Amino acid sequence: MGNQIAEADKKSHLQHHFVDSDQQFESSKLGMWIFLVTEVLMFGGLFVAYIIYRSWHPDLFYLAAKELDTALGATNTVVLIASSLTIALAIRAVQLDKIRSAINYMAATVALAGTFMVIKYFEYTDKFAKGIFPGAGYTYDGIDHDMAANFFSIYYMMTGLHGIHVVIGMGLITWMIIKAKKGFVHSGYYTPVENTGLFWHLVDIIWIFLFPLLYLID
Amino acid sequence: MSSHHISSHFTLFGVAGALLVLTFLTVAVTWINIPEPYNVIVAIAIAIVKAALVAMFFMNLYWDSKFNSIVFLLAILFFVIFVSITLLDTLFRDAGLPIY
Amino acid sequence: MAESTAKTLKIREFPIDENPKHTYLNAEKGILSWLLTVDHKRIGLLYLGSITLFFFVGGVLALLLRTELLTPAQSIIDADTYNQIFTLHGAIMIFLFIIPSIPAALGNFFLPMMIGAKDVAFPRLNLASWWIYILGALFALYSIISGAVDTGWTFYTPYSVQTGTAVVSMTMAVFVLGFSSILTGLNFIVTLHKLRSPGLTWSKMPLFLWSLYATAIIQILATPVLAITVLLLAMERIFGIGIFDPTMGGDPVLYQHFFWFYSHPAVYIMIVPAFGIMSELISTFSRKTIFGYWAIALSSLAIAFIGFLVWGHHMFVSGQSELSSVVFSFLTFFVGVPTGIKIFNWVATMYKGSIDLKTPMLYALAFLFLFTIGGITGIMIGALSVNVHLHDTYYIVAHFHYVMMGGTVIALLGGLHYWWPKMTGRMYSEFWGRITCGVIFVSFNMTFLPQFIMGSQGMPRRYFNYVDQFQGLHQFSTIGSYILGIGFVMMAVYLVWSLFKGPKAPSNPWRSRSLEWMTSSPPSHHNFEYTPVILHGPYDHHKPMREFRMGVAQEAAGHGETVEHEKT
Repeated sequence: MGNQIAEADKKSHLQHHFVDSDQQFESSKLGMWIFLVTEVLMFGGLFVAYIIYRSWHPDLFYLAAKELDTALGATNTVVLIASSLTIALAIRAVQLDKIRSAINYMAATVALAGTFMVIKYFEYTDKFAKGIFPGAGYTYDGIDHDMAANFFSIYYMMTGLHGIHVVIGMGLITWMIIKAKKGFVHSGYYTPVENTGLFWHLVDIIWIFLFPLLYLID
Repeated sequence: MSSHHISSHFTLFGVAGALLVLTFLTVAVTWINIPEPYNVIVAIAIAIVKAALVAMFFMNLYWDSKFNSIVFLLAILFFVIFVSITLLDTLFRDAGLPIY
Repeated sequence: MAESTAKTLKIREFPIDENPKHTYLNAEKGILSWLLTVDHKRIGLLYLGSITLFFFVGGVLALLLRTELLTPAQSIIDADTYNQIFTLHGAIMIFLFIIPSIPAALGNFFLPMMIGAKDVAFPRLNLASWWIYILGALFALYSIISGAVDTGWTFYTPYSVQTGTAVVSMTMAVFVLGFSSILTGLNFIVTLHKLRSPGLTWSKMPLFLWSLYATAIIQILATPVLAITVLLLAMERIFGIGIFDPTMGGDPVLYQHFFWFYSHPAVYIMIVPAFGIMSELISTFSRKTIFGYWAIALSSLAIAFIGFLVWGHHMFVSGQSELSSVVFSFLTFFVGVPTGIKIFNWVATMYKGSIDLKTPMLYALAFLFLFTIGGITGIMIGALSVNVHLHDTYYIVAHFHYVMMGGTVIALLGGLHYWWPKMTGRMYSEFWGRITCGVIFVSFNMTFLPQFIMGSQGMPRRYFNYVDQFQGLHQFSTIGSYILGIGFVMMAVYLVWSLFKGPKAPSNPWRSRSLEWMTSSPPSHHNFEYTPVILHGPYDHHKPMREFRMGVAQEAAGHGETVEHEKT
């Protein structure tokens, strides 16, 4: 019986309507993937707008993309790839019950995400200083095209929505650090860390597409 | 169930290394001038390979229940439907139909 | 999980408690035990109450519109108010009533019960979805107070960018309500995949669940696009981003593509669950195995898929390319195929069945009649040349009311009567149920049949004034709508009466074979006191009833879908 109590203690994360941890884990993970589907299609709408406008005005995209700093965009790509690696390492550490190093990896992920946002901040303020605002506030005259404002509307919508996701991801990972510190996650129950990781990788995937589409037009 | 796969350091660092190489590659191809439609195709192709690497090895789809992969591919499929049918309008708006 | 694949389960029959002392209704007390419940049954009832409220609000608005149309000129309200009221009628009925109606109310209540689960996969997300729905409703209310909306429920640009009314708060309401819908769909898909009882294979799943599954797929794939659409529209109004606004080089037709990529599949979010209820009703009250189980099940998925390919048939006169109009018109006809398959299968199920004309079955028959009219006129207006003539006329209005109200609402009422004994533990009055069904059926046709005629003669929709020749038909339609309203009041009276004075319901009044009837009425807090084991399909009326009440004899066995079973 003593054995059973210890077992029950470890299974406190198990909700009453699931039969076992595996069923709960599989369910949560499938739920997360379905949520990621909705994310893909939400960003999908913006990609559709991008594709339609690029097919209509290829010259606009060629001219306007020159304003974006490829070096900063590439740096951000590297930063996000590194953060994807660290969150994957964090999940591996939790699976192996190395909670200490998992917390370090997650803290590194938050730091990298913060770096991404800082670089993004410098990019945005640089644009604002030139008068490149989204939509009607656009006053820059360095681009010789009637619809330059439309390109930057799409740019701000795509990178803005992505940036919001980065911030949400930072919040989620911070929450996971707190959970890990309190000992709520371990090799027997790491579902929230796993799902946060999935979310973070999706944020990375979206940037993988944004980078060549926005910065690398030649 | 194989969903509790624990990735090795070799896999994780290997994938990250491949992603960095591909990032360099996608910037590098803009230094040589590839003609108009092909430069976009190359850029998107590299991005798709990178995304696939992340999805398969960082997001564990390679080891996971196949249904999760189907779910993800379904999202891509419906995005493609969305794009292609909308393009059917926007690309041919001024064209008219030859029979009229 | 792997070791349980080869294991055989010991099962035995579990008798049903006909006079349950402990039910989900008295498991906990107090208003907070309802507002903060994670029990799918209580959340289903919360949704049922909410959608009833908004159906009432939307219905009152509809009666106001019909009253205004009694005379060709101004009758009781001015033209601007008229524009706002038809917009609100549409927006409330669509986003607050019909989208959540069947899935979130009846689906929430019965989906876990039909698969023998204790709850949906994510009970707290389920509760969150209801609160998000309420939040969305508050946004909509705020929009109404702060100037309402007069764009029509579709928020077409460029007018929605220019009008002075409260478009942003209404689009935010739609944005928020979309999340509620997504969470419901997500929950349903995971629950159906992971929480089915032993023996309940996909081929033994009630068809209502197949239809909810198809609906959930649409909710997941389409709703996010609505979210980004209304977000872009809000940005358009706040920052003037110029993606949809033609004065800034944007394209208003692109907005319509975005909007209908969600909103056309959304009409299948509304109607496909109704198909599911129909399959349950027709099989149960014909006392016969459903004809063409797989055809009905897969046609739901087919409708869900084809529904994503046809959105442009709303845009035939909007200036999209001729090529895409032709393609969209062609693809639209394909929707008729799986829908027709369903209708024929239901009729074939009734053939030589012992049909019992109880109230739910009367609604099912009304559905067959009304939906067939709605569906066939839909095929007509899917034809490009006919559509150009009938576009934006009352013909369209009549068509979608025949589908949405004659289809979804009638099926919802059928389902409500069918499951009323299970949900409340009380029987409604069969006499008044049948009378009311007749009143609603006749008055519905009085209201909307004249609109087909007016539309084909050129009466445009959304118009405040009209030429004198239509007055007779308009007045006939208005009188019909009043009787329709009386019908709903009658229903409210006898249903509420039954809650207090109705006779106690037995556990299975319709002698159905589906799993939700194999527990007490009303069900206990955990639905079943045992783990049900399913041996036969849900429509096997020829098998003895006791074989449908099997459960695992000893607990602590596996729960996975791979579990084999063996009769004891």
